[in-house]
Amino acid sequence: MNLHQAEFNLSPELTRLFSVFVLLGVAVMLVGLGMAPERVWPSLLLVSYFVLGMGLAAVVFIALQYVTNGAWGVAIRRVPEAMTVFILAGALGLAVVFLAHRSLYSWTAAAHDAGNTAAWFKRFWLTWPFFLARAVVYLLVWIAFARAIARNSQLQDRDGDVAYTHRNARLSALFLVVFGITLWLASYDWLMSLEPEWFSTIFGMYSFSGLFASGIAAIIIFAVALQKLGPLEGILREDHLHDLGKLLFAFSTFWAYIWFCQYMLIWYTDIPEETGYFVKRMQGTWRPLFLLNFMLNWTVPFLALLPRATKRTPSLLVKVAVIVLLGRWLDLYLIILPPFMGHKPSFGAWEFGLMLGAIGASALLFFRALRRAAPVPMRDPWLSDSLHHHQ
Amino acid sequence: MAEAYPVLHEPWLVGSKSPAQVTEDVCSTMERKPTAVWWIGLAVSLFFLGVGVVAVTYQIATGIGTWGLNNTVGWAFDITNFVFWIGIGHAGTLISAILFLFRQRWRTSVNRSAEAMTIFAVICAGIFPVIHMGRPWLAFWMFPYPNYRGPLWINFRSPLVWDAFAISTYFTISLVFWYLGLIPDLATVRDRTQSGWRRKLAGVLCLGWNSSYRTWQRYETVYMLLAGLATPLVVSVHTIVSWDFATAVIPGWHTTIFPPYFVAGAIFSGMAMVLTLMLVARKAMGLEDFITQRHVGAMCKIVLATSGIVALAYATEFFTAFYSGNPYEQFAFWNRAFGPMGWGYWIMVSCNIVIPQLLWSRRVRSSFVAVFVIAILVNVGMWFERFVIIVTSLHRDFLPSNWMSYTPTIIELATLAGSFGLFFTCFLLFCRFVPVIAIAEVKGILRHDQRHEAPRAHTLAGHAPAPATALRGSAEEVHP
Repeated sequence: MNLHQAEFNLSPELTRLFSVFVLLGVAVMLVGLGMAPERVWPSLLLVSYFVLGMGLAAVVFIALQYVTNGAWGVAIRRVPEAMTVFILAGALGLAVVFLAHRSLYSWTAAAHDAGNTAAWFKRFWLTWPFFLARAVVYLLVWIAFARAIARNSQLQDRDGDVAYTHRNARLSALFLVVFGITLWLASYDWLMSLEPEWFSTIFGMYSFSGLFASGIAAIIIFAVALQKLGPLEGILREDHLHDLGKLLFAFSTFWAYIWFCQYMLIWYTDIPEETGYFVKRMQGTWRPLFLLNFMLNWTVPFLALLPRATKRTPSLLVKVAVIVLLGRWLDLYLIILPPFMGHKPSFGAWEFGLMLGAIGASALLFFRALRRAAPVPMRDPWLSDSLHHHQ
Repeated sequence: MAEAYPVLHEPWLVGSKSPAQVTEDVCSTMERKPTAVWWIGLAVSLFFLGVGVVAVTYQIATGIGTWGLNNTVGWAFDITNFVFWIGIGHAGTLISAILFLFRQRWRTSVNRSAEAMTIFAVICAGIFPVIHMGRPWLAFWMFPYPNYRGPLWINFRSPLVWDAFAISTYFTISLVFWYLGLIPDLATVRDRTQSGWRRKLAGVLCLGWNSSYRTWQRYETVYMLLAGLATPLVVSVHTIVSWDFATAVIPGWHTTIFPPYFVAGAIFSGMAMVLTLMLVARKAMGLEDFITQRHVGAMCKIVLATSGIVALAYATEFFTAFYSGNPYEQFAFWNRAFGPMGWGYWIMVSCNIVIPQLLWSRRVRSSFVAVFVIAILVNVGMWFERFVIIVTSLHRDFLPSNWMSYTPTIIELATLAGSFGLFFTCFLLFCRFVPVIAIAEVKGILRHDQRHEAPRAHTLAGHAPAPATALRGSAEEVHP
């Protein structure tokens, strides 16, 4: 292990593999736009939001460490720092969807809610230029915060000045406030308004819960990969994994809690304007997926992560993290696609190709971003605590 | 790098205390004669408790017609008080269970009192639904058991029934958890006391604690399991309380964000109450070395964070009401802020959102007077939050011919005052008879203080310094 090893190069085989994934993804997308646009556009929204969400979760993770003085995660902080590149990647994907295919949002067609005088606010809120302007603001704000926080951390590598830690703590606190508001509104805009007649106040929280759980899962996978590939060898300890495993357990359970609250309250009150959302997702062949979603995102991770050993065994923990990421994909699939697919869900080359492309692109971007700085924040004042972290 | 620590850390405890000194400091407060402040506090609390007892007796004898309720506003003061007190309890379990699982060392100085506060708050809360039944002597009808009334079973689909189960479970676990944590300290009390009833009582209650390695190991295991079991309860109890409202179809009550929003609000108000009590206790009981700037700062940050979550929930509700395009939702929220009871809404917004923002400033966080005032205002605000949700959503019905107003009667006010009397009476008695600081747990974070001397002692004795101990302690504990 060499702390000062600044350059890390992904092996040519892996680079080739991920590049093939990306090429496949792009090819499938281009063919699909001609052959099955009604499936490819929503799928592109899905993978873009998925990738963007992992990047945002990474910033939230870093910010939480700074505001809570959490020393344990410092040694692996370069992992979420590199993951912030996903925000930009996701933003590009979203930009393509918004600019090239606005009819994905049914409300862009004229005269939605025309007869309803009480819908004046919705008509004002869901206007296309305003929608785009908001998207630009959310994305720019996120990118700016992510860059600033990662930059301070990298600058600290040079002189070890504690002022960077303080500065990042302040930035992080501010980010968390801004993030709370923007993610809530962004999830209303980009996901909830796909079905403009439906609304649920918990939706922002729901969107955050899945986003953060999947972000922790991704951090686990990337950290273990870096341990295997070299840069974090001897640095990432069982105790770090144990803590990450606990967080995954906690936020997977948080997701289940929020999911259940939304479902239970809508089921219980049975108000037609709310139940429509779930009716669509529980009819016919959607039902098994609806149940599988809960299994992948909660039942399996909950049971698997209860024993101490799972959280401390890298291979097991990574498997659980992969399940959570699959669950995240399915969760977003169930949020985004039902309005476009009608009675039957379908999963085929289009969905799979885009998923593969997203995986390849994420991996390539991540390992490229990692090279911007040393794999460990060498002069962070908390580093020695983190290296010797014990449960 | 090491010189950075003083900048990043303040110590948890003041002074390098030895374990014996911790025992001395905490136990001596119970062994001294109570101070005048304590007696005055107890007298005032007992007075209000007396007022409450009279009021409750009167309303049970007369019926709940003594309240200001009417056809439209069928839930008001009583349920507000119930939700308020249940909420207060949550911070105790958060500190004792969740922060334990997260290995937050600062909890050790406050967890004992916070857990005691939880128990007293749940007792206060439990009184209100029982009175609300109108015939509290039939309260046992809430429990499902084969009976000769038909048999008449409770409605298992009613959140009110879930409430009864959730709260009784919560109370039981909180009590057991609190008692379990007390056992080693009760043994300390037993060993320190020479004779008399106090020694006998502590001896019985500490279950023959012998401090052996095996006893400690079992104790730690049970403690962790109970912490794991108590954690979902923190969330579930207030979630179910929120379902009392959210499962209705009333605009302003039915909204899906209620569960997490209520839980955050509960921790917000509970943490403010812990701050209020701890700031008084540290002065009155001379515990300044144990409850320090850093504890108060940490709790202030939790108050600030939960205030933010609550603010986001208020904003979400208001925004979504307008986004929904549902005129009834829109009216409910507009009326909440600008209707005849709008003053309540603005008290709530100022106390819960605006004023806590002062805690962003380190200067405010380090002024105990400012924190004390803010903590009290937060609890005023949280009481009003429940009042606003309950009363303003009801008083303007779907039909304008049903519109009514609501004013509490003197009986209702006296009952609320009585619940505060009960709460503070219990808390003051607790301060006298039970170690207010978890002695055994605080000793667990003392390690670093001994470390200053440890290497020297080792060298003198001819041993190599033990690196393991040096690594074990995190930097959190390094003294400047």
